[in-house]
Amino acid sequence: MTIRTKHHFSLFKLFCTGTALAAVLGLIVIFAGMVLYPSFNDLIDCLLSEEIRFAITLSMVTALISTFLCAVIAIPAAYSMTRFDFFGKEAANILLNLPLSLPPLVAGIALLIFFSPVLSPFGSYLASIGINIVYTSAAIVIAQFFVNTPYMIRSLRSSFAMVNPRYEHTARTLGCSEWNTFVQVTLPMAKSGLIAGIVITWSKAMGEFGAVLMFAGAIAMKTETLPMALFINMTTGDIEKSVAAAIILLVISAVVLVAVEHFGKDKGVEYV
Amino acid sequence: MSSMSENGNADRGVSENCLTIDNFSITLGDFKADNLNLKVNAGEYCIIIGPTGAGKTILLETIAGIHRLKTGRIYLHGRDITDMPPELRGIGIVYQDYMLFPHMTIGDNIAFGLKQRGVSMEERVRKTAEIANKLGIGHLLGRYPQTLSGGEKQRAAIARAVILRPEVLLLDEPLSALDNTTRESLRRELKKLHKEMHTTIIHITHHFEDIYSLADRVVVMREGSIIQCGSVDEVVRKPDSRFIADFTGMENVFSGICTPAGNEASEIDIDGLKIYAVSERIGDVNVGIRPEELIISKEKLTSSARNSVRGEVIKITDNGIFSKIAVAEEISGTVFTAALTKQSIESMNIGIGDTVYLTFKATAVHVF
Repeated sequence: MTIRTKHHFSLFKLFCTGTALAAVLGLIVIFAGMVLYPSFNDLIDCLLSEEIRFAITLSMVTALISTFLCAVIAIPAAYSMTRFDFFGKEAANILLNLPLSLPPLVAGIALLIFFSPVLSPFGSYLASIGINIVYTSAAIVIAQFFVNTPYMIRSLRSSFAMVNPRYEHTARTLGCSEWNTFVQVTLPMAKSGLIAGIVITWSKAMGEFGAVLMFAGAIAMKTETLPMALFINMTTGDIEKSVAAAIILLVISAVVLVAVEHFGKDKGVEYV
Repeated sequence: MSSMSENGNADRGVSENCLTIDNFSITLGDFKADNLNLKVNAGEYCIIIGPTGAGKTILLETIAGIHRLKTGRIYLHGRDITDMPPELRGIGIVYQDYMLFPHMTIGDNIAFGLKQRGVSMEERVRKTAEIANKLGIGHLLGRYPQTLSGGEKQRAAIARAVILRPEVLLLDEPLSALDNTTRESLRRELKKLHKEMHTTIIHITHHFEDIYSLADRVVVMREGSIIQCGSVDEVVRKPDSRFIADFTGMENVFSGICTPAGNEASEIDIDGLKIYAVSERIGDVNVGIRPEELIISKEKLTSSARNSVRGEVIKITDNGIFSKIAVAEEISGTVFTAALTKQSIESMNIGIGDTVYLTFKATAVHVF
């Protein structure tokens, strides 16, 4: 519980609170400046333009697919990291956390080299059977998946850790197999954390720039996700379109924030 | 384990044996248990006591099949269940903090095990209502666990376990989180359930009342081993070690020198104070006398009891139900603790500084 001292004047308190308010004000002014920069009609035109509609669709679809793939890997992996001891767990933990501090650009170039038809044996094998990943929408999905999976594992780990293993023990003694216990007890109990983790991963995928730029390129109307649309139009001087893409990303972030706040709300009191 | 209880077990024969833990060893994080042996008879109410960290919960969870044994075997009715997964063992568990699934109603919680077994909907509803009514929570089936009181939750958790008619029911401090009144009534409920269902029960507790009112047999654990196992009377009145004596609330535990005094009796010298006991021991011994065995009076009692000591009341403490009176014996300064009700202290008009007599039988003195 926070204790507020209300009635005493304190220069220190004034200073700290003033700084906080100034930070919030700065945020509002700067984003408002961006949102209000284009005229309303121009903004609507941009939002409805074929290019932006393409970018929205591409971002949505690739982010949905990559988030789904992340969840497929992250749910069992995070559960294992929470509950089981296995050889090399410590090392695995450190490796899985590495991408959290690594710039996505680095992940992007690593993927580019791995899948390149000329630079790697795996890439040339794929090319020999007619599969080319680099600079396609498949590369967008892979880049988002690669960068976001460690985040998702980390976020889901804390959700699973909040479920007391004794619930699972009890379910087992009541005749539930390991698989059924996971589906009937663990998953429902970790639900709000899982949803929050999935929503955040999706929004991160929508906004992924560095890795996607390196691996899928910034090709207009081909690998043009929302961040790419922002980038491409900026380089060609079409600021209105850039702003339109930026506003969409801003709105998505805001919605995600509210959603996570909503789902994460009862997290603290959850079944420990 | 004491040799006495082991012999007692062997005498009862193999056929009655329900659960046998043979040479059990396990390492789990910092916890280690080695060569633990335990036999529980069919239909027996077995209570495990011991300090925190003794490995009581781990023992229960291993019996349930949650943890893997390093070595040793577990048998249920002669069948080796060591490698059997928990869902096939037919052993139920109830924890102190209920572990009711928060995303299910009380009804769904209780019916959970039946559902896993593919029991039909009607049958589930019927059996759930039956057991819930028996435990007095029939009206709560549509509610979620978060809205229930501790006692109601524990009743639901017990119902959820016993609805499957487990061969062994494991109770891990089921009454510890409850207030006194609720604990009392749920304890009666457990006794009734045990009587009706003849389930073998292994129950961990920190409460002495549980032992007196429920146990057929008491197992004392410490640091991963069983240090005593026997009937309630054996463990409470004849503890194997000073640790058990302290833990079981014996209170009056002293060291002395024992010499034979004829007629099966022996005389024990405690710093100059001589008391009589029935023992065959000679030399350095510990003696233990339960506080309720001491009769306190202001005048010397004429009774058949062999021991009578005189001393001064130095302290009176009151725990709400009964009072404890500390008496310093006049020769040796040995402090005895007697227990009696607040009313009797008032009616006898005993206060600090008063000289009183403590009278107790030679058979009440436990020598170990």
